[in-house]
Amino acid sequence: MSLPDGTPFSWTRRGRCTRLGHDVPHMGGVVPARVVSEMRYDPKDIVPFLFAETDPGFHERCRPGDVIVTGRNFGMGPKMQGYIAMQALGLGLVCESMPFLAYREAVGLGLPVLTDCPGISDACATGDEVEVDFLAGRFVNHTRGTERAVPAVPAGLREIIALGGTGNWLRRWWQRQGAAERA
Amino acid sequence: MTGAEKIIARACGLAAVAPGDIVFPVPDMVMIHDNMVPGVKRALDELGIDRLAAPEKVVMVTDHEVLYGSARAAQYGSLNRGAARAWKVGRFFDVGRGGHGHVFPMERGMVLPGMFYFDNDRHCTNAGAIGAVGFRMGMEIARVLATGTNWIMVPKTLKLTLRGRLAPGVFARDLGAHVGARIARGALPFNLDYRVLEYAGDLDQFDLAARVGLCSAPTEMGAYGVFFPPSEAILAHARRVAQQPFEPVFSDPDAAYEAQAEIDIAALEPQVSLPGGVQNAVPVSEVAGTAVDHAFIGSCASGMYEDIAIAASYLAGRRIADGVRLFVVPGSEDTTRRLVADGLMQVLLDAGAVLLPAGCGPCNDAVVGPIDSGEVSISTATNNPAGRFGARDARLFLGSPATVAASAVAGRIVDPRSAPRTDRRAGAAPAAPPTSKETVQ
Repeated sequence: MSLPDGTPFSWTRRGRCTRLGHDVPHMGGVVPARVVSEMRYDPKDIVPFLFAETDPGFHERCRPGDVIVTGRNFGMGPKMQGYIAMQALGLGLVCESMPFLAYREAVGLGLPVLTDCPGISDACATGDEVEVDFLAGRFVNHTRGTERAVPAVPAGLREIIALGGTGNWLRRWWQRQGAAERA
Repeated sequence: MTGAEKIIARACGLAAVAPGDIVFPVPDMVMIHDNMVPGVKRALDELGIDRLAAPEKVVMVTDHEVLYGSARAAQYGSLNRGAARAWKVGRFFDVGRGGHGHVFPMERGMVLPGMFYFDNDRHCTNAGAIGAVGFRMGMEIARVLATGTNWIMVPKTLKLTLRGRLAPGVFARDLGAHVGARIARGALPFNLDYRVLEYAGDLDQFDLAARVGLCSAPTEMGAYGVFFPPSEAILAHARRVAQQPFEPVFSDPDAAYEAQAEIDIAALEPQVSLPGGVQNAVPVSEVAGTAVDHAFIGSCASGMYEDIAIAASYLAGRRIADGVRLFVVPGSEDTTRRLVADGLMQVLLDAGAVLLPAGCGPCNDAVVGPIDSGEVSISTATNNPAGRFGARDARLFLGSPATVAASAVAGRIVDPRSAPRTDRRAGAAPAAPPTSKETVQ
């Protein structure tokens, strides 16, 4: 499966770990509040502000494949801007827990995301080289030489993430409807 | 299974579901509210999607901005009417045609026990009051409209058993706020995030309006559903108004709950939520005497006939205090007509209340009835974060319809148990709390 621009989609992310604490709010903790209140949806208007208030310059240092690992209750509130930026940057997100609506937004935006991974914060530190297989449910810390199982992306949500989000999913669905009717 | 799980399973064509399952329910109805229509229409237009999967199931309601107070609102109204035509929406309730989408469909038998429906707005949890499940989709209602379904994760259910009977002068909103406060304090072992809160115990005292009032606080605190096993009175109402066949659903005796708790409600006092959130509830005595400028009775939590009738019993033969403005917003056009027919409208107007058309009223970002800097409000809104009614430094309190009405008369927050009360409804006993028999009609 590939993204609409033809980029093949990989269920594995391997790169540098950025570990965050518990109860990181979306507004302020992930992106500045104004990025949300101004209702920015274009990745180029959001990416420069990812973690801008807590980790300035993050967007320039991070590389595709890098993984954000968080504690409990990450990204409170049904807000989407931070996940738009993470998806655009090719990152992965692994959380001890997220409010459900935050999780739903991340999935709907096509971000490889895992939640309900208790204790994952103890399995890594910022700067570690980690590898996450979102399909197999595997979290490897190459720096420490450790590996653990995590809950994989549920089967019913894989297509949405692999296509880059609900919008792309709907676009393809509609195209197939048209193709079926023409056939 | 719990009642909510059974309803979800039936909508999925499955024998059973369990919390955590990703499933695709096919809804009995799809509701979209006026404020969401323009954005969803634009999103589908951009994808070229010009027809809906099941337009006959779609109910489009006008409740968030009924009175067009701006050019933008009038433009949104045009977009709504255009979308209803283009999509061939089955049931379109334009301005002044139905009222609040979380209220009138239960009154009119469109939302019935055992039903499952999708809604863009989170207060569709009200459906639990009648024993149905309404499931919030936000902007993802677009996928439901286009394809006929969308994914959900089956939520976990919490069970709260209520013991005892509310004292006279104490109402469902008091209890809802109190439950919210106990959960916020950690005194009840519940995490409401994406949970269904199921009420159990001594529920026959709660009519449909009271059950609706009990849905609001948990929803504001993150619950995705509230569920009541329908009582005989609720089922009698549903049978009387039903627009389609329905099958009531109840939880199995051995249903699995994430957590369970029991509370005694007999000694509860009227509650007022302090500014900042419905969960900041304290006994009214702690804030009694606070002068108020602005009062509002209505919202999807407290806009049914019974709520306004209770308020009217504190307004009958009295005038609201000088310097106070009181907005009354019925939940439905049917309720407005009923208030006129039984004389309660006269009571409200004689007291000096301002009547607004059925819908959300000030509760939707104060598009009507806002508040000025430094003013104080007491209302039955669903929540009271800073700025909800406009000025961020205004102080917003929440109370039951009784507390709000009595406070509007006094010009300051008062305990409704100490306020004079005259019940003008035909056959109603003065100073008596409503019973399920007289109120579920």
